[in-house]
Amino acid sequence: MSEPFEILEHTADIGFRAWGASPAELFQNAASAMMAIAVETDSIEPRGELPVELNAEGYEFLMVDWLSEVLYLFDASRFAARRFLVDEISPKGLRARLLGEPRDPQRHPWELIVKAVTYHELKVVEKNGRWKTEVYLDI
Amino acid sequence: MNLAHRLEQIDEWRWRVPCDERLGMRTDVVVYASKAIIQKVVKDRSLEQAANVASLPGIVGPSLAMPDIHQGYGFPIGGVAATDFEDGVVSPGGVGFDINCGVRLVRSNLNRAEVRNRLRELVNQIFRDVPCGTGGSGFVKINLNELDDVLTQGAGWMVRHGYGEPRDAEFAEAGGALPNADPDKVSGRAKERGRPQLGTLGSGNHFLEIQFVQQIHDEEAARAFGLHAGQAVVLIHSGSRGLGHQVCTDSLRGMGASMKKYGIELRDRQLACVPIQSPEGQDYLSAMRGAANYAWANRQGITHFLRQAFRKTFSPDVRLDIIYDVCHNIAKPERYTVEGRTRDVLVHRKGATRAFPAGHSELNEAYRGVGQPVFIPGSMGTASWVLAGQAGSVEETFGTVCHGAGRLLSRTAAKKGRDVKRVVEDLRQAGIIVRSESKKGILEEVPEAYKDVDEVIEVVHNAGLAKKVARLRPMGVIKG
Repeated sequence: MSEPFEILEHTADIGFRAWGASPAELFQNAASAMMAIAVETDSIEPRGELPVELNAEGYEFLMVDWLSEVLYLFDASRFAARRFLVDEISPKGLRARLLGEPRDPQRHPWELIVKAVTYHELKVVEKNGRWKTEVYLDI
Repeated sequence: MNLAHRLEQIDEWRWRVPCDERLGMRTDVVVYASKAIIQKVVKDRSLEQAANVASLPGIVGPSLAMPDIHQGYGFPIGGVAATDFEDGVVSPGGVGFDINCGVRLVRSNLNRAEVRNRLRELVNQIFRDVPCGTGGSGFVKINLNELDDVLTQGAGWMVRHGYGEPRDAEFAEAGGALPNADPDKVSGRAKERGRPQLGTLGSGNHFLEIQFVQQIHDEEAARAFGLHAGQAVVLIHSGSRGLGHQVCTDSLRGMGASMKKYGIELRDRQLACVPIQSPEGQDYLSAMRGAANYAWANRQGITHFLRQAFRKTFSPDVRLDIIYDVCHNIAKPERYTVEGRTRDVLVHRKGATRAFPAGHSELNEAYRGVGQPVFIPGSMGTASWVLAGQAGSVEETFGTVCHGAGRLLSRTAAKKGRDVKRVVEDLRQAGIIVRSESKKGILEEVPEAYKDVDEVIEVVHNAGLAKKVARLRPMGVIKG
């Protein structure tokens, strides 16, 4: 299977487009896309689990909050996530589990430091049962 | 929305997109550019973004774009907007995620030949001593109480705690610390990200570059800045690291609801803004000042370890003195005369540099006679410039000029068809040694990814915003 996301061009920074058969799968794939851009994810052992619960107003704000959460956990050297399981999701929030391990900065360096997740041309849309998102990251 | 066809040429260096209320604009867009540059500017969405900025409530004067303008988020990079301090808004996106990303130029008492003889050794030593922070923490160890002091005292705190020399902090915009920073407005998350990262470069376009003065263009200003031809200098480009990024993320998060409350509607969510005088606006500014102070402390820490690396490589007597340190991403209260009226405004500089002219009361004595030093990094492999602020900046651009060459190619396009070994070898042939934590770091920042810095400088020089003082050429580049 090909990657469930692709890179989008931006003059100064970088974006990605991801897909999913459901909002849950879309959010999982979006987090995988961001981590693939930023980190050599093969270095992360999925031996631990971290629960995440977020509230938001709509899928787009939820997407920024979700990716910002994963980014914060990594940058603060709390948790390096490799896989994402979204157990419950609605436009009002989500409950998910991150699979990975506590970040060891020596083994899990940034390949490209992502500063933040932006609202620039942010999209979360559904068409004929297929979900798509476009997100730009500040590098 | 393509605004290229609405562009009017004002003169050789100035262009205008007239105000159009149907687009929500409250004022004109004015772009500083040559004909060659404007033809590149219209290719991305930066003009549209500058037009969106023109819709900010309380904007004073035009929405300005410098010749290094390129597409950002919300604001274009190279964008400047002043908003009325009483009735206007503050836009965290108008400052950006990397609060007080900026540059600092350090002069040495070594010349080009002395440095060239031990260049590889020096580059390797700096690479060891000045971490980029991709693999964890830097060498400045502080606890959370000390971090709070860094947030209020900036570069001065570092100097007082052994990371600098007595005169260092004075040679920075705002003396290396903005007043009225409130550490309590900086979230625990921001502090958690920032605490271990103090004294690290970061990645992306951040760098530390060993350069030499290739040519002096203005003897008097160069003398005041302590520069002479053939001298070795170091340019440091870094910001507020994870701390600043989180402050911006935190502030944008709540802003949707706040904008509804204040009845503000905008075309681009990344432009989110609130009234300066609202509790939300004041909270953001208090946190932003803390992040700005962190950035000055960060560049101060880098300077400290840079000095160590130079002294290990050459001798303990090597002198490295800071010429100046300027912000690229900041919002500051300043006073200007606009259409004959004195106005107190909040100047948002998003990828733009303050450039006060000679005689300005905010300049320290050393530079009051010649104007504020401004440093414009080009791409690695080309050149950088030292400028001095001119009267035109205060008259036209809220005391502001450009901040760099400006990107031309996306990161993906920059990498396409290029091989890292070849790029490094080409640079070596040109006398430039590059070291980076990652291959991506080099390829994404190849010289071809940027506009011609000389062309950008020509615009601001001829428009009377800042004058040429010296052209610098790189010798060694350290990248995240």
